[in-house]
Amino acid sequence: MSRAKLERLGIHLPLLPVTSVGSLPKPDWLLEARNDYRRGKITESALRTQEERATAFWIARQEELGVDVLVDGEQYRGDMVAFFAERLPGFTQGGLVRSYGNRYYHKPIITGAVRWPGPLTVAWWRFAQGLTRRPVKGMLTGPYTMMDWSFNEHYPDRKSTCMALAGVIRREVEALLEAGCRIVQIDEPALSVRPEELPVAIEAMQMVTDGLDAYFITHACYGAFEHIYPQMLQMPVDNFDLEMSNSGLDLLDLFRRHRFTKDLSFGVVDVHSHVLEDPATVRERVARALTVVPAGQLWIDPDCGLKTRTVEEAVGKLQRCVEAARAFRATPPAQGGPGAA
Amino acid sequence: MKLWLAQNGNYPRIGDSPALQVLRRTLAALDRGEATAADVERAAQEMTRQALADQLAAGLDVLTDGQIRWHDPVSHLAGRLAGVRINGLLRFFDTNFYFRQPVLVEHPVRQQPLLVEEFHTAQRLLAELDGTGHPRVLRAVLTGPYTLARLSLAEAAAMQPLDRRVQAYAEALAAEVEALAAAGARQIQVDEPAILFYPEDWPVFAAAIERLATARQAAAAAGHPTEVVLYVYFRDCSPLYERLAALPVDGLGLDFTYGERLADCVIGSGSRLPLAFGLLDGRNTRLEEPAAIARQLERLLPAVRADHCWLGCSCGLEYLPRDRARAKLELLGKIRALVAGTR
Repeated sequence: MSRAKLERLGIHLPLLPVTSVGSLPKPDWLLEARNDYRRGKITESALRTQEERATAFWIARQEELGVDVLVDGEQYRGDMVAFFAERLPGFTQGGLVRSYGNRYYHKPIITGAVRWPGPLTVAWWRFAQGLTRRPVKGMLTGPYTMMDWSFNEHYPDRKSTCMALAGVIRREVEALLEAGCRIVQIDEPALSVRPEELPVAIEAMQMVTDGLDAYFITHACYGAFEHIYPQMLQMPVDNFDLEMSNSGLDLLDLFRRHRFTKDLSFGVVDVHSHVLEDPATVRERVARALTVVPAGQLWIDPDCGLKTRTVEEAVGKLQRCVEAARAFRATPPAQGGPGAA
Repeated sequence: MKLWLAQNGNYPRIGDSPALQVLRRTLAALDRGEATAADVERAAQEMTRQALADQLAAGLDVLTDGQIRWHDPVSHLAGRLAGVRINGLLRFFDTNFYFRQPVLVEHPVRQQPLLVEEFHTAQRLLAELDGTGHPRVLRAVLTGPYTLARLSLAEAAAMQPLDRRVQAYAEALAAEVEALAAAGARQIQVDEPAILFYPEDWPVFAAAIERLATARQAAAAAGHPTEVVLYVYFRDCSPLYERLAALPVDGLGLDFTYGERLADCVIGSGSRLPLAFGLLDGRNTRLEEPAAIARQLERLLPAVRADHCWLGCSCGLEYLPRDRARAKLELLGKIRALVAGTR
């Protein structure tokens, strides 16, 4: 339980804090600006102005909705790996490959030794945090996922690639902390892809977080967690942010069999569906979570980043998260489940 | 021994030029209500034509339609069966590619052909493109019954035991094997990566493959001979190699990119089956050195007691950007030339 750590860091959160996983949809006017920039119709500075406007829009929306721990919405990013790969020496942009259905992304290629060129996300974190008194998370992609979601033409094997990336990402975490960030989310959606490599992912995360005074979250999704649980609890982070709704909350069965020992950000709305869940469905998901994980360990959020939804859909889904959390805060449940004190 | 160059399975359905993004654009337009199903069909045919053209340009002997229409290897087949609902996204093994998961709400039933129309279209496109007279095989590709079952959920109580799901899919795919054979498919590739992840399921897997072999025999008896070639990939299959090589199939496709053990197994145990050597990494852009691959092949070929083998990549090429996929195909001919020069 890491609430004491948050308090020590000066972060005071209500029961069942609500957050968002990371990305939020880009408003139409930002999409137009990005297209105009690609076609050379506007300058980088003009695009930046629109990205700042969109970031401010989302900070305001999250505050209005009552989200407790905010994100900048990644209005200035495309893909979560490509954003870093485009800025880190050692990477080359690859061609398009498919993610799912009719979605594609530029998968990066590691063609040389990767190195940290200086802060990549700090200016955006400062900008977003400057717009609100609520905590804004620093948002990074983890070394294992960076490695797994890139082609590698330079390093001899996957582990050496991963550890090289861990060294780079640690530098970025240090820069965020130096700027005042106290909650850092390091996304590892690839965490479960090769269960036999879980120790590599853990060792890499250790390199990223070791000795740093912050509250660390890692997000993972759409994986076969049954193959890495409970060993994955050895990840040196305070909070696991997991997609739960898309898979019918089936992970709860695992957590019943072996106590979930960290804080859990529990995905209660499906980010790949246009359908807005009804409030009762979301409340029922929170209620089921509370039968397994004590309320003091539970955070509420969507399954994953909301960038593939429309602005209206994303607002609606975040609203459902807040409504459900507030419903339970008003009538705190009896602490239940195997983790209850 | 003949060494055929083979493309196995999927191929990028997008490229970096606007012309190679026609299918993406048209599908997006369909979602917005700005395109019709006929527009999508035209775009899919154009990208199928491009996939075939790349394979022809690389001099391949065995081609596929690139599975251009498939949204993923699972829902494209399962979603066409009665009794199946398609659910949320799930990662496809250890790739960064996601499929929509089938849910068996009833016993799944094949009520109509699944791939025959797509196969006919690819046959026509290939005939239009290939004027060389070179004997080529257009391969049909199925995701196998065990992999489909392993990646499906079951709501119907009767479908909850894995063996029931596998049997149900095997029945549906057996009928499809016969239909594809009748449509002129001389080779049918059956992809079963899942068995490498759950080797404890071998008996139910083997029974499903035997069911497809029976369908192949029925097709031959009806005057439509075809070959069933089983492919496994995404892991080192050496622990299962001897059992795989004993299955009643006409060829075995193997992924050699997970270490040296598999090559040692093949050399040690030999093979009565023609093997498809997946020696080029279908999941990494690094281009292999042809001479190094040729040396590997020269070690492996004497172990095979068959009159032909295939050379290809470790898996379908959709996981690569198009330029690298094409470059991998082009390497195949260079490797074969090196091997031929030393034999």
